[in-house]
Amino acid sequence: MLKFPYCNVTDLNQALAQCRFVGLLGPLASRRQSPRAVVSCSPSSSEFSLTPVQAVMSCQQQFGSSLVNRLRLGGLTEDGFSYKEKFIIRGFEVGINKIATIETIANLLQEVGSNHAQSVGFSTDGFGTSPTMRKLHLIWVTARMHIEVYKYPAWRDVIEIETWCQNEGRIGTRRDWILNDVATGEVFGRATSKWVMMNQDTRRMQKVSDDVKEEYLVFCPREPRLAFSEKNNKSLKRIAKLEDPVRYSKLGLKPRRADLDMNQHVNNVTYIGWVLESIPKEIIDTHELQAITLDYRRECQQYNVVDSLTGLELTEGSKMVSVGTNGSATATATTREDDHDCHRFLHLLRLSSDGREINRGRTEWRKKPTR
Amino acid sequence: MVATAATSSFFPVTPSPDSSDSKKERLGNGSINLGGIKSKTSSSGNLQVKANAQAPPKINGTKVVTPPAEVFKNEGGVSFHPPRTFINQLPDWSMLLAAITTVFLAAEKQWMMLDWKPKRPDMLIDPFGIGKIVQDGLVFRQNFSIRSYEIGADQTASIETVMNHLQETALNHVRSAGLLVDGFGSTPEMCKKNLIWVVTRMQVVVDRYPTWGNVVQVDTWVSASRKNCMRRDWLVRDSKTGEVLTRASSICVMMNKVTRRLSKMPEEVRGEIEPYFMNSEPVVAEDGRKLVKLDDSSAEFVQKGLTPRWSDLDVNQHVNNVKYIGWILESAPLPILETHELSSMTLEYRRECGRDSVLQSLTAVSDNGTDEIECQHLLRLEDGSEVMRGRTQWRPKNAKISGNVGQIPADTA
Repeated sequence: MLKFPYCNVTDLNQALAQCRFVGLLGPLASRRQSPRAVVSCSPSSSEFSLTPVQAVMSCQQQFGSSLVNRLRLGGLTEDGFSYKEKFIIRGFEVGINKIATIETIANLLQEVGSNHAQSVGFSTDGFGTSPTMRKLHLIWVTARMHIEVYKYPAWRDVIEIETWCQNEGRIGTRRDWILNDVATGEVFGRATSKWVMMNQDTRRMQKVSDDVKEEYLVFCPREPRLAFSEKNNKSLKRIAKLEDPVRYSKLGLKPRRADLDMNQHVNNVTYIGWVLESIPKEIIDTHELQAITLDYRRECQQYNVVDSLTGLELTEGSKMVSVGTNGSATATATTREDDHDCHRFLHLLRLSSDGREINRGRTEWRKKPTR
Repeated sequence: MVATAATSSFFPVTPSPDSSDSKKERLGNGSINLGGIKSKTSSSGNLQVKANAQAPPKINGTKVVTPPAEVFKNEGGVSFHPPRTFINQLPDWSMLLAAITTVFLAAEKQWMMLDWKPKRPDMLIDPFGIGKIVQDGLVFRQNFSIRSYEIGADQTASIETVMNHLQETALNHVRSAGLLVDGFGSTPEMCKKNLIWVVTRMQVVVDRYPTWGNVVQVDTWVSASRKNCMRRDWLVRDSKTGEVLTRASSICVMMNKVTRRLSKMPEEVRGEIEPYFMNSEPVVAEDGRKLVKLDDSSAEFVQKGLTPRWSDLDVNQHVNNVKYIGWILESAPLPILETHELSSMTLEYRRECGRDSVLQSLTAVSDNGTDEIECQHLLRLEDGSEVMRGRTQWRPKNAKISGNVGQIPADTA
């Protein structure tokens, strides 16, 4: 890894040109290569005429004419601290409710997160690991995912998703998303996720030095910017472990080959599908998913068999307050507080064999709006 | 000239308990307006389509979101062939495949207007992949960028992704032709005679699976097939190089929805739809070999207890046809899946299934001594009724270009 603590703009551009993923244009082979040069610049240095982000962006412009980039319709925002991309909802991404499924939304969040990492020069293997992380055998692991959807997009709708990262605690990073409907400009969903670094050999979470974090934090806004900025928002809510008696269940779920991602692991989005498997038809027919929170505890292997359990979430007495619209994101949700219209469930995904927990989750459902 | 629309009904089945609570019979709405097909509501009110041939399609502007099948569902349920019975409802997918006849008239110039794209001089492709009519109004073209989550364990787009793209273009072709009109998509003459389209067969040949970041261009069109059938063809190319990636062909026939008997194409109907046929050679040479019916003794691999997940269901709560393919592949032996890739398949559709169905997938492998492997497949319900028959061919995967994948470990980031 080359370090350029002081460099002029030309060198910076050249170095970045090397690390920029030309793999976008080339065959799979070049996609798989790590960048040969990484520019690590101290943001406080005043010798630079370009900030790292600006350098990456100018570098990107050189490659911006690739067909893929044009079709991708995404790119870093002007300040370089977030990434936006547009998508059209395809017919096969729409489900039984004639609207995009939560899996589609989750897939797009994953896609845009991955494209963001790629656009700043991080790995293109779908994991977004920085070069130093790879050197230290560190990988990102999802710890929590929270998605709220206020109005599901429909077939042929064009949506725009903005995403950015922030530091979170000692070992965590959060990635936030805001989802917009391009035609109306409305925010139709928000999401946040927490990631931790894990050593791929020891399989244990690992703290890293600030230098290692800096490598990616240069691309993150410094002032806190949260998709869910309101106090006591649902993304922070602790999920209780589902205890017996369980209300609904679907046992014996097996990963299909189609559930595996390019690295042969059960795709994160598959877990969402499994959690929903035990929701009964009566709810699916009349309600739509308003919010889902998943805590990822243990990984599931291809050969595991999983049970999906669902129970009612007991309210603690007071009603849920409607989410406000303060903060860096605008929520257009109107949470129904009426018990008849809003259902809340707790979920547990566990290994069939020994009952060990894989995920726990929480979902909220609202009555389907008339369309 | 009248705008004609035909949709195909998939494979009717014995009326199942849950078909009774499905939508009402949707009769084709008599006259179909050419060049200005406004919102039409099916009798059950489930479907509204705004297909305006005279204006650029509105993105997000349509109130309706009518993903595929909704339009094409019908009820009924009598035998298709004397020994077999048909399902009442149609998988969207097949309906679209059956496609139809594009509206010509007002058509040609208006088709160009349907092509929505920003005015970027360097823009060769439609940005959002909505697609457009090309080539004398007979061919519909759409581009897809392969997304990371469409890449499977083989590092390439899966066959399901490929099939999804085919489905999407057929649907958009129908839609852009203003044909998402009534429940059957039948032409006026077909409606008069109670005729609907039924997809019976599908053939797909994959020369190369696209990888992450590839942009594929899918062209689709319809032609006459034999005396009484219609064929929909697809050609998938790499947008950048023009390399042909996939070729596919589906056949549909007409069926009387009341008697559930196959019907010859009446002359009146032929007169309506013939002008819209491309009548090219089939893009995939027809595989004339009979598909065998496997049973427990002839199948080497049997997987039972396959149940649809919520995400397998289409808008009418029937299993999306693309998922059938996933199922037959799931029961192919793992060693084959790991070392070979699907190079071609021939499928015959018999019956549809829903959320409560429990299926079995049977596979027999024939090794003809070469590198290639051939499998026979059968998907059936627990009571033995056939859902789909198939034949797949597999070729050895190319050696991986880079071995880095192994270093990326277990946890999904």
